[in-house]
Formats: sequence, C-alpha cells, structure tokens
Amino acid sequence: MSRVRPTHPLVALSSAAVIAVYSAGYLKTRAAAAKFSDAPAMRRPAHVSASGSVVAPPTEHDLAPVVKSAPAAAAPAVIKVRTKKHAATTESAAQSSNLTAIAVVPQKPDTHEPPAPAAAPDRPAVDVAAATPVTIAAPPPEPAADTAAKSLWHDGTYSGWGSSRHGDIQATIVIESGRITSARISQCLTRYSCSWIAHLQGQVVDRQSADVDYVSGATQSSNAFYGAIVDALSKATK
Amino acid sequence: MGTFVTIDVVGPIGAPAPSDARDAAIEQAFDWFRQVEACCSRFDPDSELRRLTRTVGEPVRVSEMLWRALEFACAIADETGGAFDPAIGGAMTARGFTRHYQTGAESPHDAATIGATFRDVHFDHTRRTVTLGRPLLLDLGAVAKGLAIDLAAHDLTPWGNFAIDAGGDLYFGGHTANGEPWRCGVRHPRRPETLAGTLLVSDRAVCTSGDYERRAPDGGPGHHLVDARTGRSADALISATVLADSAILADALATAAFVLGPSDAIALFARTGVEGMVMDEDLHVVSSPGWSDALLPHA
Repeated sequence: MSRVRPTHPLVALSSAAVIAVYSAGYLKTRAAAAKFSDAPAMRRPAHVSASGSVVAPPTEHDLAPVVKSAPAAAAPAVIKVRTKKHAATTESAAQSSNLTAIAVVPQKPDTHEPPAPAAAPDRPAVDVAAATPVTIAAPPPEPAADTAAKSLWHDGTYSGWGSSRHGDIQATIVIESGRITSARISQCLTRYSCSWIAHLQGQVVDRQSADVDYVSGATQSSNAFYGAIVDALSKATK
Repeated sequence: MGTFVTIDVVGPIGAPAPSDARDAAIEQAFDWFRQVEACCSRFDPDSELRRLTRTVGEPVRVSEMLWRALEFACAIADETGGAFDPAIGGAMTARGFTRHYQTGAESPHDAATIGATFRDVHFDHTRRTVTLGRPLLLDLGAVAKGLAIDLAAHDLTPWGNFAIDAGGDLYFGGHTANGEPWRCGVRHPRRPETLAGTLLVSDRAVCTSGDYERRAPDGGPGHHLVDARTGRSADALISATVLADSAILADALATAAFVLGPSDAIALFARTGVEGMVMDEDLHVVSSPGWSDALLPHA
C-alpha cells in the first residue's frame, strides 16, 4: 500500500545538513545547558547527540563565530515570548482538559462532538467518542506550580495583557460556575488587525484553557492573545 | 532572523519530568537560533556570512553550519533553475531591503553584486572551503530559520511532544498534552476572519511564505521574495505553505514555491515528496494530492 519512491536529493541533503550541524555544535549546546542545570557535572544531558554520547572534539571546520551575548540595546534577534511547561495534570484537571480535547469543533462552541477521527494521521487508536480521559496513562501529580489548576477558577470577569512585537492585546474572560463562559479580545493594540485571530476566542471556551491553536502567518498576535488569556486566568485563580 | 521564537514542551505523556531538565533543554533549543543568527545573518556585519562575503576570489574555510546552509541554499537554487537564489542580495538591496526589519541595521548596497548568482559560489568539498567568484551578497533567510528550527527540534526530540514556533514557521513533535496531533492554522492571506485551513501535524514542519509579512520599502507593491531570474517580485502567488519532515526543507521549498508560481510549485512539491498549498491573487488554491488529508475537516 505504501508507495516506494526514491528520496529526492534535496530531502537527503536537508537531513544530512541538520545532523552534521547538530553534531558539530553539540559541544556548544552542552556548554549552554551546563549554565542552566543545577548539577551540570553529574546530571545526564537532557538530550542525546546525533553522534552518540561522546563529545566530539572541535575540528578545524568548527569556525563558528562566538555567539554574541548581546544586551537588549543591541536588539537581540530572538526573544522568548512564551514557554509552556506542561506539568502532568491532576486527575480533576485531566478530566476537564480531556473533555475539551473531545469538544473541539470550530465555530460551534456549545457542542461537544468528537473530532472526526479520520483526519488524524498516525495516531494510536483512541475511542474519542467516549467521555473517558484521552491521555494514555494517568500521570501522578507534579508538585511544580507551572499549571494553574483549572478547577480553582473563581467566578467573575478578569482581564489580562499579552504582548508581541506587533503590539499588545488585552483579553477579558468570564468565569461562571468555575468554567470559562466567554473569552474575548477587549483591546487590540497590535499593528495588525485582531480579526486574524478572532477565531481563537471561541477556542478558549471550547477547550477551557489558554491553549489556542497556532496560526502560521499570525503567530505574533496569537501568542499575545495566549499570554493575555494566561494572565487573565492567573487572576481567576487567586 | 529577527524572529520571536516560542517553544512549547509538553514532555512525554503520562510521565512526570523534572522541570529544570526541561528548562535546560528549552534553553539549549533557543540557543540554536542565536547561533544560526550569528552565523548566517545578512545584516550583522560580524556574522560569519558577512565575513565570508568580504573575501572575493580566495577560498575561505567556513563552519559546518555555514557550509551546510549555503550548500543547501544553492541546491535549492539549482533545483528551481535559479528562480530561488541566495545570491539575491544585490537585487533586494536595490529594491530597498537594506535594513534588518527588526533592528534597522543597514547592509551595504554594493552595485557590483547585482547580477551575481548562486553559480558564483564555489564549493571545495575536499578542503571544505567556499570561494566567491565575484562580489555578491548572500541571503540565507529562506534556509537559516528552518535550519534553526530543526536543530532545536533535535534537542527537544527526547521530550517527545513539543512545538517550536519561529514567527510562523513551525515544527511539531509528537502530540499535544491531550494526545492529539498538533493543530496549526494557516492564515488566509487576504481574509482576516478565515483560515486557509487547519493542519493536523505530528513530527513535521509547517512553513509559509506570503506577501503579507514584509512589504518593500520602496513603497511599491511586492515583498522581499524576488524571482532571481527577473529581479522582480514574484507576483503569481500570494501565499505558499509547505508541510514536510524538516523545517529547513519546508522553509526553503515554501520560498521557492512562491517565486516559481503555481504549477511549477506543485511540481516541485511532487518531486520532493512534500505536501503543500499555494494561493494566487484571485484566491484560487492549488494543493498537492495529500494536502487535504492533512487538514482538519471543515465543520
């Protein structure tokens, strides 16, 4: 059933390029990791290099320039907007998050239909029609406070701000009976219209979380909206 | 690159992970973007790329990163018959794209570089040196970001489930926290209220080239994507999106597709085994045969 087609040279070249560069740079990434891990000497690295665990000695080819640790005044090219650290969820949060996983149907925020299973490639067979949790194993709760426990939202109206290089967005959410009943962009201060991300508002309600879709071509605004919702939800948990 | 980068690490489903190890992996992943920028930036005068272009007619030893990025960019140029060309700096500069669109840094307008092509870049595979046959300005923008994404993805692969978003070019590893494929909407180039589609993605990259990202400073219609064969802005398409196994491939092919126009773009997708979609000025969409299978069905 699967087609066998010779790999185009560009495809092979792209794979080879990434692996070669990664291997050559492994020495540098280990140094970067050491800055941030608590016990750099003893701890296993968080990743395994493509060339195995042996650190490759620097070669003559490794003439990559010193990475500039530029201060903010030099306008660094890369700025972290958000890192989402997903802690293993508690059981109650897992239930509500799994309900939202089943409930995602765009433009129909009041339904809880399962998504069409045929669209998902290479997924393990999961009975999405059931109301049971979709996660594969019940994870033990993680002590870290990374994730706001969804069951602890207090009723009320909350606003939060998120930022992007195109400007800021304020989002306002309404919590009723512990659930998000509305989420909207209350102030759009971005250079580009917020109508590009208007569809994300319904996703917050559908999913009962800030985890809205990425939008290729409008990620700055979607990230700002995500940040605004996170900010608003943090106020709802206080 | 001048890009905001977002990294989202879900981690293995069902297993708790110490958050500091995850933070270390994320920092490592981010670091690749800084490294790629330092190596491949057309605007930073101290980048390795700029230092290379200051030496004409003599072999220059380059880093593995610059070698691979340049080699790949030239291979894409060859595949597209020169429509996509990293040696486009001269033509871009002439149209006013001299400033880094975030930092405002200038790059020199060297008239001597106009007319240079990727064929003026000579690779010595034995000595690992690059020799520029004539003055030229190199732009690795279509390759560098994708490369950085793939390098970051390599660091995050042990974590199973993650997403990397580098200003609209993305790589998705594994699944979301809910065990589903990642969902990636593709912005409609003209209609703010709609998406051109939503992709279901796992262990693949999504890259989009479009005319809405950067406008030409000379005020004219058009953008930074130029058909190197003519020197003019590629205008047959307003958007091209590629879904591929790696971001370096998706990034380069989306850019190449944009300058090739619809039928050549679809043929390129077929030859390289990727899925893709292009949209023309009339909002007419042409896509590869497997594209619709990758989409979330419309409600």
